[in-house]
Amino acid sequence: MTKIPENLRYTKTHEWFAEESGVVTVGISDYAQSQLTDIVYIDLPAVGSKKKAGETLLTIESVKSAEDVFSPVDGEVIQVNSKLSDSPEEVNKDCYANWMVKIRKTGKFVDSMDAAQYRKFIGE
Amino acid sequence: MVENKRTPLYDEHVRLNAKIIDFHGWDMPLQYTKILDEHMAVRRHVGMFDVSHMGDIIVEGKDAASFLDRILPTKISQLKIGDAAYSAFLNNDGNIIDDTIVYRLSLDKFFFVPNASMIDIIFNWVKENSTGFDVRITNVSDDIACIAIQGPESDKVMADLGISYPGQFKFSLQNSSMALKTNSITNSKQLIISGTGYTGENGIEILCSSEDAVGVWRSALESIKRHSGLPCGLGSRDTLRMEKGMLLSGTDFHGDRNPHECAISFIVNNDTEFIGKNSLTKGKQVFRGFIIDGKIIPRSGNTVHNGNITIGTITSGTLSPILEKSIALGFIDREYSKPGTNVTIRIRDRYLPAEVSRPKMVP
Repeated sequence: MTKIPENLRYTKTHEWFAEESGVVTVGISDYAQSQLTDIVYIDLPAVGSKKKAGETLLTIESVKSAEDVFSPVDGEVIQVNSKLSDSPEEVNKDCYANWMVKIRKTGKFVDSMDAAQYRKFIGE
Repeated sequence: MVENKRTPLYDEHVRLNAKIIDFHGWDMPLQYTKILDEHMAVRRHVGMFDVSHMGDIIVEGKDAASFLDRILPTKISQLKIGDAAYSAFLNNDGNIIDDTIVYRLSLDKFFFVPNASMIDIIFNWVKENSTGFDVRITNVSDDIACIAIQGPESDKVMADLGISYPGQFKFSLQNSSMALKTNSITNSKQLIISGTGYTGENGIEILCSSEDAVGVWRSALESIKRHSGLPCGLGSRDTLRMEKGMLLSGTDFHGDRNPHECAISFIVNNDTEFIGKNSLTKGKQVFRGFIIDGKIIPRSGNTVHNGNITIGTITSGTLSPILEKSIALGFIDREYSKPGTNVTIRIRDRYLPAEVSRPKMVP
């Protein structure tokens, strides 16, 4: 069964996020990493870049395809998980420990789901 | 909604926990473990693939050889019994509808293997063009299963299975210790062992009755595991063929490129009047490999540039597990097609430097 931690929010485009003191941590869900298959490269955004909610935040390359990850929130990228530049496959191993980007929130979120709603959304 | 087709090995794939995907209307295994591991198993040891979704069409009769000479650019009438040849069906414009392997079973009996997504189209195309020839054309695709054993240690698996290697692009009918059903290609209770594949490694493809597929699969799997091998899905099948620059029907071409553009001019060796012959041109572009220094991967539809000029299009791309770099296949204007030429490829909002290569990027 797909791992869907209770304490996170999920988007329709399969990102997870968590907010703490105005900083939003973003990653991709277990469902997303499983669909992608072997991740070989993560094209992380520049620190300081500004993103609108729903805008492309970064791109993940797998052997099979390239998929965009969308920003769940209006804000500014304040940190990227640069460890993933060298070992992107860590996201396949644990997509929740291996967050990708931290964003300082400046505006609204996209619509999102809790764990139960998201499990239903992916048809489980 | 039409239900997807399944090969006789579908339950075996599910049992092995394969990730199943839709491939042109077929439920097929994408991967059992990881695409990269399966890829390396084939390069270093041995891997096995279910390719039963591919078609099998028999052409027999007094005019079988001359008919195939008419419908293919390759001189099929010169094949010896037991030989196989790579070729392609051309439309009237000389462009490739589908590529195939043709096998000569006897003086007046052949069969060929079209791609899974093209079986009906090719069967109809061949039938339509058979008027005036004394031939019988039969689609036995559903009766036949095919299991590929590929990799430098495939000879060990052959030994375990009691199979002898027929030679590259040759095939033979072999008895098995298993009690086999009659296969509808040769009407004998034998395996068809073909020295062909789609990975660039040594290996064979085993054709048998669909009813024998599970038995053959399980024996091969047992042997594969003994030799550090893995069952492999369509994911690694794709990355393996890309490293070797092999075309994928429906991806690299779709009725829009001729054999010269696809860099397979060697299949055009037929002096008779074959379909498409009079429309064959050298073509403005040619099929090439592209090697990128980095891990951002070009994908189908990305464009190739020299400065501000667009000079080509990408049709396939992946990360090469052997080169540990991104690689791509596509078409480029002939004047820039020399291996070693530096170009750029537009990927999303970036222009990345790439080097033109022969299609075969991994020796």
